[in-house]
Amino acid sequence: MSLRLGGFIFLLTLGFYILVFFRSKALFKRALLRGAKNLIRNSVRIFSVFVVIGILQSFLSKELVGGFLMHFSGIKGILIGALIGALMMGPVISGYPICKYILENGGAVGLVSSFLFSWVMVGLVALPLEIKTLGGRFALVRNSFAIFSAIVLGLIMEALL
Amino acid sequence: MSKLAKSYPMEIFVTCLALILIFANSDRAVLGISHAVNMYTNLFIVIVSIAFLSGLISEFLPPEVVKRIIGRESGFKGTLIGALFGALMIGPAYVFYPLFKDLVDKGASMRVIATTIGAWAVRLHAIPLAGAFLGYKFVLLFNLLIFIYSLFSGFVVGFFCERDES
Repeated sequence: MSLRLGGFIFLLTLGFYILVFFRSKALFKRALLRGAKNLIRNSVRIFSVFVVIGILQSFLSKELVGGFLMHFSGIKGILIGALIGALMMGPVISGYPICKYILENGGAVGLVSSFLFSWVMVGLVALPLEIKTLGGRFALVRNSFAIFSAIVLGLIMEALL
Repeated sequence: MSKLAKSYPMEIFVTCLALILIFANSDRAVLGISHAVNMYTNLFIVIVSIAFLSGLISEFLPPEVVKRIIGRESGFKGTLIGALFGALMIGPAYVFYPLFKDLVDKGASMRVIATTIGAWAVRLHAIPLAGAFLGYKFVLLFNLLIFIYSLFSGFVVGFFCERDES
C-alpha cells in the first residue's frame, strides 16, 4: 500500500519534470540541481533520525512497553500513555499489536488512545529536524498542543467507549 | 569544520552515539543501524520524490499560487486542503518537513502546515489493518477525533506563529 502511494508521488514528480523540460530547459536544469542538493541534505537528516529510531526500537520491545503501560489506568494512565507515546518512533503500525496486547489484558481505552496519538503526533526524535525546517516556535507550539490534545483525546475516548 | 558542526549538530551527535553503542553493545547497534537502512530503503522512493518536488517548487512555483491555495488568506478552504492532504499521505511526516519549509518560504500559511501534520495521524489506508487489531468502533472514532484535532492544531499554531508576522 505504502509503495503504491510512494510510486504515485514519484510519478507525479516525474510528470512535472517532463512538463517543465519541454517548457524551459534552463529551469529544468536548475530544479534538478536543487533537487539533488535537497536529496543529499534531507537524506543525511532523515537517516540520522532513522538511526535513533532503530537503536531505540532494539531496546524497547513490544512486550516491555506493553507490560509497562499495563500497570496504569485512569487519568494517570492517559498521561503516561501520552508521554511514552512521545518517545516511540517509527511506523505506528508496529504500535497496533502493542495496543491489542494492552486492551486484551484489561488495559484502559484512554491510555491506548493517548499512546497511539502521541506516537504519531509528538516526535521527540524528529524534534531537531522540525526546529531546523519549520522553526522553534512552530515546533514548540505544535508539540505542546499535541501532548495536551493526546490527553483530551484519551479522556474523550474513555468516556465514549 | 565548524560550519559542518553548526549545520548538522543532531547528525554528529547521532554518529557519536552510534559509535559508542557499537563498542558497548555491538549486537544492538548493528540491529539498530540495519533497521535504519531498512527504513531508508523502504521510504527511498518517497524521499527522492520529495527532494526533487521541493526542488521544482522552490525554482518554479510562483509564490502567488502558493499563497492563493494554502496561504494565510486561503481561509478554511486552505486548511481543509491541508487536512485532506495529510490524511491521505503515508510514511512519517518528518520526511515531508523539508518540503513544508519550501512551501512556507513561498508563502504557505503555518496554520495549513500544522493542520497537514495533524491530519497525518489520520491513516485512511491503515484503517482496515488497525480495525482488525483494535476493533472498528475504536479506530473510526479515533480517526474522526484526530481529524477534528488537526483543524484545532492548525488554528492554535496559526494563532501563535502568525500573529506578529503581518
